[in-house]
Amino acid sequence: MKWMKNLKTYVPPSFVVERDDYRCIRCKACVEQCSFDATFYDEDEDRVWNWDANCVGCDRCAAICPTEAITVRRADPTYRYNHNWNGHIDSIKKRAIFGGTPVVSMGNDRPYPIYWDHMLLNASQVTNPSIDPLREPMELKTFLGRKPDSLDISDDALKTKLAPQLELEIPIMFAAMSYGALSYNVIEALGRAAKEMGTYYNSGEGGLNKDHYKFKGNIIVQVASGRFGVHKDYLDVGSAIEIKIGQGAKPGIGGHLPGEKVSETISETRMMPQGSDALSPAPHHDVYSIEDLRQLIYALKEATEYKKPVAVKIACVHNVAAISSGIARAGADIIVLDGFKGGTGASPQVIRDNIGLPLEVSLAVVDERLRQEGIRQYVSIVASGGIRNSMDVVKAIALGADAVYIGTAALIAIGCTMCQQCHTGKCAWGISTQDPHLSKRVNPDISSKRLINLLEVWALEIKETMGAMGINSIESLRGNRLNLRGVGLNEKELEILGILPAGE
Amino acid sequence: MKIVIVGNSTAAVNAVEAIRERDKISSITVVSDESYRAYSHPLLPNLVIGEVSRAEERFYYRKADFYESHKVKTVLGRKVVKLYPEEKVVELDNGDKLEYDKLLLACGGTPIKPPIEGLELEGVHTLTNIKAADKLRKDLKNIKQCVVVGAGLIGSKIAEKLAKKGVKVTLVELTKRVLFPVLDDTGADYIHKELKRLGVTLVLNDAVSALSGDKRVKQVILKSGKKIETDGVIVAVGVAPNAGLAKDAGLTVDRGVVVNDFMQTSNDNVFAAGDVAQAYDMVSGVKRPIPILPLAARQGRIAALNMLGMDVKYKGGFAMNSISIGKVSFISMGIVDSDELEVLSIKRGDEYRKFLIDPDNRLKGMILVNNVEKAGMFNWMIQNRFDVSWIKDTFLNSDFGWKYFNKAFRVLRLDRKIK
Amino acid sequence: MKIVKIKEDNCIFCHLCEVACVVEHSQSKDIIKAFKREERPIARCTVEFNYPISLSVMCRHCDDAPCIEACQNGSMHRDERGYVVVNEETCVGCWMCIMACPYGVIKRDTRREVWGLSTKCDACPERDIPACVDACPNEALIYEEL
Repeated sequence: MKWMKNLKTYVPPSFVVERDDYRCIRCKACVEQCSFDATFYDEDEDRVWNWDANCVGCDRCAAICPTEAITVRRADPTYRYNHNWNGHIDSIKKRAIFGGTPVVSMGNDRPYPIYWDHMLLNASQVTNPSIDPLREPMELKTFLGRKPDSLDISDDALKTKLAPQLELEIPIMFAAMSYGALSYNVIEALGRAAKEMGTYYNSGEGGLNKDHYKFKGNIIVQVASGRFGVHKDYLDVGSAIEIKIGQGAKPGIGGHLPGEKVSETISETRMMPQGSDALSPAPHHDVYSIEDLRQLIYALKEATEYKKPVAVKIACVHNVAAISSGIARAGADIIVLDGFKGGTGASPQVIRDNIGLPLEVSLAVVDERLRQEGIRQYVSIVASGGIRNSMDVVKAIALGADAVYIGTAALIAIGCTMCQQCHTGKCAWGISTQDPHLSKRVNPDISSKRLINLLEVWALEIKETMGAMGINSIESLRGNRLNLRGVGLNEKELEILGILPAGE
Repeated sequence: MKIVIVGNSTAAVNAVEAIRERDKISSITVVSDESYRAYSHPLLPNLVIGEVSRAEERFYYRKADFYESHKVKTVLGRKVVKLYPEEKVVELDNGDKLEYDKLLLACGGTPIKPPIEGLELEGVHTLTNIKAADKLRKDLKNIKQCVVVGAGLIGSKIAEKLAKKGVKVTLVELTKRVLFPVLDDTGADYIHKELKRLGVTLVLNDAVSALSGDKRVKQVILKSGKKIETDGVIVAVGVAPNAGLAKDAGLTVDRGVVVNDFMQTSNDNVFAAGDVAQAYDMVSGVKRPIPILPLAARQGRIAALNMLGMDVKYKGGFAMNSISIGKVSFISMGIVDSDELEVLSIKRGDEYRKFLIDPDNRLKGMILVNNVEKAGMFNWMIQNRFDVSWIKDTFLNSDFGWKYFNKAFRVLRLDRKIK
Repeated sequence: MKIVKIKEDNCIFCHLCEVACVVEHSQSKDIIKAFKREERPIARCTVEFNYPISLSVMCRHCDDAPCIEACQNGSMHRDERGYVVVNEETCVGCWMCIMACPYGVIKRDTRREVWGLSTKCDACPERDIPACVDACPNEALIYEEL
């Protein structure tokens, strides 16, 4: 067995790889698949060994093993149980040993309350009919963008000039995940699925590879504080432009793509030198007020001849309602609210795990505030950050969202097992890596099909639930909080969410 | 159309197959002086020591019903003694005459008789056909020690086989190494070692001047004056094209029957293929007989297609051999030893790789010892005059393979978009 | 005729094609038995790796197969389905087919007592889809018309 243990940097393994040696046929598939150096083959011993300390629990080896000889288990804590200190011991050790703050990825994994699971939906019984979506038409079409105060229809024609709109066949879009964070093939799969399903994928802050310009019509381009890869053609390719102010997983800080991930194609796409770290500053250095934001919004509108809606994405933080009101007044067409459970390719652990607001609460307060101020029609609201299933989508829309972004869910559809190693660039599933060998593990043909399947199934599930509620158009569900009831929530939470408790 | 094929081995059988793929009507007559169905010549050494018997399907080139299923008339055990190209007739040794519209000469070669006294003695054998092999096999009980004259393909192989059987074998070779034209010194060294390991005594740089004995051979006298006691001699100094028939008929004959790119002899209706033919060697650039099985098969096919009036060109061939002696296997092809070509070579324990590349960056020849599985890829490169400038650096890697090719090229080739 | 097409962009170097091939050509067709109990067949496909390239290569079943032409006793032949296959009963292991194969996809099996055996893809005569294609987790091998 390879000698790898180094007591100077020793932290007990988080996972144990168990191998049924009788079943193991030494095909070495697991050895090749492990990108974290946790699996070895010893020729002299004719045995496959694991170095558990390196195992990240991505389950790739277990998935690929043709004889199912491998089981990856979470390691039992070896320390004496201590409710107060559990989990913090290793965390302190890591900081003490490595002298740096741990960087993590994906969304917040702490046991904060999940409000989605405390809301129940309504259904029609006797007094109003439910609808069978397989028999009756059911409308999921959604338009995102500024809506007029009133419509002038005369001589059988619409006289009001409408602001540019994003047309969605289903109210689900793929969230901003940059080329750089994700591999080329994943972007390809997302693009194909968005095109097929009549929805959009967001390029993220890393610009857009020229190859992916073919998805024009189904792309939202992002402009972030680093301004990576932003140029005329890039803006033109987008159906909408999104200004990223903040991200749910790391509110208040910028982005950091390590130099190792800045390959030749990434450097070309991002318009920056190969191998240098891609640092997005924490703030936009030209946005220090709502007025500044207005300037940026209109600069982008001007650059695209007022043909594209401009979205502003913010992380949900304490004053999210007031901020949203400001954004609406600054001229944005869409506000994207990114809850604290939103994912990331890399974020300091303390930030990811401790900053932000739940999406459910933010949605409710923003929708309520904009209604009270009479400006709800000026902006569409997109909910993002921790949408896990179709019912989360339905509940988000009932709380006031126009559409949702899914990021993590889309990645899971194409193989992600949420091992939270995106920041290492060694993703064993080929998703968040720029290693040309690893990224082959995502086959765009298979992955785009799976994404399409996911969206189709979710769409069907949404229609089923709407039908049960007696609603035949997603428009009628929007902000329809009467169809939500809270369970296990206190009075204040119910008040903020704007929903009645179950039974009332 | 009446087609007559003289000979009944690789070239003949492949010609029959090629004809019958396209033409079910023409009559085909195969004439051969051997009275057996086509068999595998390389297995003759195995036949001698009984590893394979004539009852086994393995020994034969095609299934027993080949002639019937391909509607071929066979005249076996008869020799063609004369060819009348003007009358388009061949005459058999029993006086019968066969008319033809197209004639294919595929009559192979005969063993070369070296200038040695005493070849007529009992116990002196050759090994180019079943008859000779049978004779040797029957004589084997009398042979406790044996001298093999000539360390070519057959000589080396029968030496190995006899040694395995426990016969004390001495292998006498005129040149400085065994398998002279198909290996270089380093490559031959592997075979030398293996033959010695098997108990064969090697006598290199020497030749047999005379055989002596009363009725049966008793002693072999070498040019160097050395004498070897023996009770059997196998003469295997090579094969010469059986071109007498063609020569007598006035066709152009050099060392073999000279053919053009369509395997046609100087007479329009007479074609030649296989060991008897002298066709284009694409590596050396001249016409010469190359008596190897894959080329006989190809020439037979191409001759047949041209006999049917198709216009199929023979691109040329080159020498190539795949031989195993004991535990050593090697494949070599083209030019294997040259001072003028660029040579890449590496010896890595059991493995030896050598490549010869001309100034235009075309592969001209190669030797692979033991790690032979990718040999055909080099064969392809030689045949297609492939520019190896960008890939030759990887030739010496033991794991040479598709992974070293340019991606676009590799994809096209593996998708069979380019041949 | 359908052949196994190689989509190297999708090959993830997992060797499962080789594993599947071994199992398919084993006596029991049982993965554990094939690898642990029985004499293990040689995989007919080979996965090559040269970072970041990886691909599985197996017989392309040429139209005018040079291996058939080079075979000294007709062991290498075309079967009823049109695929190039070896008659194991008669193969003598002279490796002439290896010398001829332009794709380098014939392997040597030297475990028999007297005769060697050329081993190559037979396009799985007992299956609708070759085992390697079935086993490939990423559609790097697909079975389709040329």
